Amino acid sequence: MFIIDDILLKAVGITIPGLSLVWTLEQIRDFAYKELYNPEKIKNKIKENRLLFEFGELTSGEYENNNAKLLQELKLAERGTEMNLSVRTDILGAR
Amino acid sequence: MNEENGRYVYCIIKSPGEKKSFGNIGFGGQEVYTLEYRDFAPVVSNAAVKKYEASDEEIELHRNVVEQVMKEHSVLPVAYGMAFKNKKLLLIAMSVGYKAMKKAMNEVDNRVELGVKLFLPKENATWDGKEECKSVFLETLKKKAVQSKELKLFSERLILNTSFLVDGDKINDFSSEVEQLGNQYQDLKIQYSGPWPPYNFVDIQILSRKRGGFR
Repeated sequence: MFIIDDILLKAVGITIPGLSLVWTLEQIRDFAYKELYNPEKIKNKIKENRLLFEFGELTSGEYENNNAKLLQELKLAERGTEMNLSVRTDILGAR
Repeated sequence: MNEENGRYVYCIIKSPGEKKSFGNIGFGGQEVYTLEYRDFAPVVSNAAVKKYEASDEEIELHRNVVEQVMKEHSVLPVAYGMAFKNKKLLLIAMSVGYKAMKKAMNEVDNRVELGVKLFLPKENATWDGKEECKSVFLETLKKKAVQSKELKLFSERLILNTSFLVDGDKINDFSSEVEQLGNQYQDLKIQYSGPWPPYNFVDIQILSRKRGGFR
């Protein structure tokens, strides 16, 4: 219910950044998105996956699987970054 | 998109004096050949201007072409995905980047890039000797190289990721040094790779996306 309360407060122009729980939640969510949709981090994972395969810690099937997933994530992340859509992405419920 | 006019650039070499073909090993099975710009020759194939996906197969194709060219020539590598709308725009970019290419070629001519990665084993990922080991590797190998560049540690288990620019006739020296170090640190996983085109020692922005006004 606090979300509705806060939206109502915002609607009448009352927000207290830092004190508002919604504001705080938004910061946490944005941070989480940055982590999740950070193209650099995904690129690191792609390279790590490759290295693990080359060192024989992953089978070629595991490598291919991970790689396909990571490339898909990277595509999404880069699209998100290009369009700066993190907020809208959330509204659309896309992951 | 017009494949006949577009030119995909794989790398740049010193001009061989006349058009040289490397066979039909380019994107879409197209011929890879040289164009001329003063004393340089971009190695190209006819290709559409599009966003080239970073898939393993396509990157491998780019890499393979550069490797073939490298067998006979010193190369200035060009980033993956670099296509120009037509020959004229490519040559304009070459003219703008000429000075930088000249300088870069002086630095990398008859030299290759060799890569060394040190990776902690799974069961010993918190080993406390890693800093010391890293400096031993760096100090020893730097002596055998013209230049070195430390690259991103993209995994928590990666303790060293460095590229070395090495004279072509000193590759064997460098390799035996890596082998000896490897024997000293047998618990570590070592990836020693190359010879690569000097990707990490050539930085010519004019052909890159950052200032891609000529594409």
